[in-house]
Amino acid sequence: MPATFDLNDSSVVVIIGSGAGGGTLANELAQKGVSVVVLEAGKRIEISDFKNDEIAMFGLFSWFDPRTTSGTWSVAKTSPDLPVWTCKLVGGTTVHWAACALRFQEHEFKVRTRYGDVSGANLMDWPIDLAEVAPYYDRAELKMGVSGTHDIPSLPINNNGKVLFAGAKKIGYTKLQATKMAINSEPRAGRAGCQQAGFCCQGCTFGAKWSTLYTEIPAAEATGKCEVRPEAQVLHIEHNSAGKVTGVVYADSSGALQRQKARAVALAANSIESPRLLLNSSSSQFPQGLANSSGQVGCNYMRHTSGTVFAIFDKPVHFYRGTPQSSIVMDEARLDPKRGFVGGYNLELIAQGLPSFALNLAPGAWGRERASVIDSYANVAGLWVLGEDLPRETNRITLHPDKKDKFGMPIPNVHSDDHENDIALRNHGYAQGEALYKAVGAKRTVRVPPFPASHNMGTNRMSANPRDGVVNRFGQAHDVPNLFVSDGSQFTSSGAENPTLTIVALAIRQAEYIAQQLATRAI
Amino acid sequence: MKLLDWASKFTRRVFIARGATTLAAAAVAGKSLLADPAAAADSPGLSAQQSRALLRFTRDLFPHDRLPDAAYEKAVAPLLAEAASTPATKQLLVDGIAQLDASTRTSGGETYMRTKDEGVRVAAIRQIESGAFFAKIYGDTITPLYNQPDMWAKFGYQGPSSSLGGYLHRGFNDLDWL
Repeated sequence: MPATFDLNDSSVVVIIGSGAGGGTLANELAQKGVSVVVLEAGKRIEISDFKNDEIAMFGLFSWFDPRTTSGTWSVAKTSPDLPVWTCKLVGGTTVHWAACALRFQEHEFKVRTRYGDVSGANLMDWPIDLAEVAPYYDRAELKMGVSGTHDIPSLPINNNGKVLFAGAKKIGYTKLQATKMAINSEPRAGRAGCQQAGFCCQGCTFGAKWSTLYTEIPAAEATGKCEVRPEAQVLHIEHNSAGKVTGVVYADSSGALQRQKARAVALAANSIESPRLLLNSSSSQFPQGLANSSGQVGCNYMRHTSGTVFAIFDKPVHFYRGTPQSSIVMDEARLDPKRGFVGGYNLELIAQGLPSFALNLAPGAWGRERASVIDSYANVAGLWVLGEDLPRETNRITLHPDKKDKFGMPIPNVHSDDHENDIALRNHGYAQGEALYKAVGAKRTVRVPPFPASHNMGTNRMSANPRDGVVNRFGQAHDVPNLFVSDGSQFTSSGAENPTLTIVALAIRQAEYIAQQLATRAI
Repeated sequence: MKLLDWASKFTRRVFIARGATTLAAAAVAGKSLLADPAAAADSPGLSAQQSRALLRFTRDLFPHDRLPDAAYEKAVAPLLAEAASTPATKQLLVDGIAQLDASTRTSGGETYMRTKDEGVRVAAIRQIESGAFFAKIYGDTITPLYNQPDMWAKFGYQGPSSSLGGYLHRGFNDLDWL
């Protein structure tokens, strides 16, 4: 039974956001008997609302609140008003995620030590390492039902994957795998097995894909310790003179302002909104923004260095059939500076329905050249280069000096300049992708620029020293002991892996810590 | 040629978001405006000739010989509706078409719509591709054009699958030519 808590109940933990971080944290805390109020900016929908309709679901799920962009990154040109593709609804971006569930590698937690001092980057080691996170990766994989782990069968290889693997073998790659996916390969945990529908990113109509919307959230509510309030957009986090947070102010579905008191607050609103909220919660006591004595709130924005290669063959591929990202080539995910860049990249499958394919193929391009690619749609194979994006202090989220949203809150500006390492990595990935496809007879290949990112990280980063980052090894704000960050903004580096599994693992770990801190009255 | 290099020259509005918002207005059917000038006369915003030029322009931007005129008519229908109700939009379209006409008259002697040589029309479009008219038509028609389920089979796309049980038993791994 969902709980109902009074606005003046100061015993609750308020969680802002209900996606991978917030939804998981809510369930983990509720299971331990902690009272939780989840404030979610978006609406609540159900699986029955999902349709195999790319454009309609994009309109239904996406976070469209106004944003501005700046910097040399291509997204500032191709999609200046919508720089990222995240979701605004209960379940957050886990509703549309493709469900690749990969662990970070050991060296990716220690980038400053392993990569050295890269000029123009703000590299820093995480204050935790792979060994420390590994048990929580195990728990995350079991919770999410990640195929290919813990004796859960892998998903099968689809047509697009067959092409990827054939080309990869031809050019000497050996780390070819069915991707570890948080998608049931067989019925599990009351949810169906994958039917290879191909519409993971439009919401899984079978519920085979893990999303907090229909796993963590209802499980949390069933404890009787969790209340989820949709259409509750938090505007401000409040604190007392002792420097501890006391609650949050939010706009409810009618636009009326409410104040929910709290014993602790966990921020899980994704890597643009989370720093935006901290910056907007400045006060005489925290003039640079809440929890920002380091000046790092909003800095070090990372998205992943990415690019897509499509290849056209003489014969049909029908790459849209089946789980879009179910195969992966991991040979280039290693650390090997001899390639001309630090960090690595994975080659992940990508497939799009015709409307998305046409829209994203070459923004701004027209005429016969472009049309001929779309005419070949049935014979197209595709891969996505997903590489490490280096943190730069100047790649950052700031509050717009003039523009405000409908609640009067300054809108965020997203600034990013590609580092030369990013450019070298992306070009290497493009070239390898082209070589891979040409090795199996591609007539033609097409490079596609980065899409608005669904992977957003780093803007409240974790550090050992309060001087260098925003939160400690448990995602607890250095400056404010009862304030936590539970989303990808706490990442110190981006790795070459999709971020969600790490967000979930850290949320499980953080829940243990918060429960212990509450029990011992440390917070 | 790499389309990326080409695309990177452009600075455009958000095609994705605009496509999503204009889509709802896109489901309008009609007679073939290209083939039947009488049908276009009903358009309250643009003249029949202007409507036909707009259709020709959209086909030149996204030239798929396999698609019938009806597909492009659906794609421009929301724009025509907007032009009929919004004077600023009508003016933008009228001016843009006039620019195209002036350009093709200079190089080929005919209006844009009546110019048979695709190369001449393409050259005229190149001259205006960084302007507001181009951005408006491109951004407003790309999603309505490609989001027509009855056209998908022409590209070999099968569309929604959940109601058919996904592709698990319908060819997700049937590729056998490698």
